Amino acid sequence: MRRPADAVAALCLLALACGPAFAHTGSGSGGFVGGFAHPLFGPDHVVAMVAVGLWGAFLGPPAIFILPVVFPLVMAVGGVLGILGVPLPGVEIGIAISAIVLGLMVALAARPPLWIAAALVGAFAIFHGHAHGAELPPGTDAVAFSVGFVVATGLLHLTGIGFGLLARWPAGRFAVRAAGGAIALAGIAFLRGVG
Amino acid sequence: MTSFLGGLLHPLALPAHALALLALGLLIAQQRAQFVPFAAFIVGLAVGLAAIALAIAATSAVDVLLAGAALNGLLVALARPFPMFVSATLAAVAGIALGLDSPPEVISLSAATVMLIGTGLGAALALAIVATGASCLTRDWQRIGVRILGSWIAASAILVLALRFARGLMF
Repeated sequence: MRRPADAVAALCLLALACGPAFAHTGSGSGGFVGGFAHPLFGPDHVVAMVAVGLWGAFLGPPAIFILPVVFPLVMAVGGVLGILGVPLPGVEIGIAISAIVLGLMVALAARPPLWIAAALVGAFAIFHGHAHGAELPPGTDAVAFSVGFVVATGLLHLTGIGFGLLARWPAGRFAVRAAGGAIALAGIAFLRGVG
Repeated sequence: MTSFLGGLLHPLALPAHALALLALGLLIAQQRAQFVPFAAFIVGLAVGLAAIALAIAATSAVDVLLAGAALNGLLVALARPFPMFVSATLAAVAGIALGLDSPPEVISLSAATVMLIGTGLGAALALAIVATGASCLTRDWQRIGVRILGSWIAASAILVLALRFARGLMF
């Protein structure tokens, strides 16, 4: 499985063979703190967000900032769909696959054109946004909750970027790729219902 | 004095107002021409505050404010130069909406007037501080940080608008 395309094909087969973990449960409270905690309570969301930052740092400029800019904007679109109750099939599976694919991209040191990387990250952002939008607790302070929620997501990206910057050094590059592999494995665990 | 202080802090106490001011301040800082958009905001703010002082009926100003924050955040994330009249128009609209969404929470006419003056001053100061501070961020990584912040603001504002729509609070 040397090429990313092979890995993605294998993962699609895996996705058809098992059920999702529904690891993302949300925090269930309102306000800034509730919004901030919301993404952090979903380990599948956490690893995928860190993977976005890792991959951005691995790809270097301009991807290092374009991916973290693209993600929240597209995630908001997914969030709108979730809030409005527009059904999106396979949301939890899509979130688990996002961790696997993004983790594999880092582990395999994949360097696709920027537009492909942005499109991939954007496509997964729809699933993450939809899950969050559909789980927003009623009666929350909408502005404070949304700001907390987006800021936490962005800080997870920055965490990934911070760690990904280690890729400048050979040992760091190994560590970053290993982290990508760990994220992909975690994604497989979510997909198989372990998370 | 309490009314003035309440008005002064009003734009910062309301998350929607703070979000809109932050987005607009970053947008103004990114553009070459900064005085005209700032002046347009002040004029719009004065118009909005005057209108609310004259007890114009409840409006959907907060939705306009949030939509403006979303658009301004998106433009900050894009970080492209555009004609001055665009930023001036966005600033004026934000000023009017912020003024209209700041009804004085006091009964007496004099206290209400003082509170509205405080609100205007607080909003203008907040915008000036954000725009001036963001103008100092000239290094590459700082400008990238501003763009990321813009995307966060846009995403937050879009989500809030969707929530308000879903709850039947919009318009």
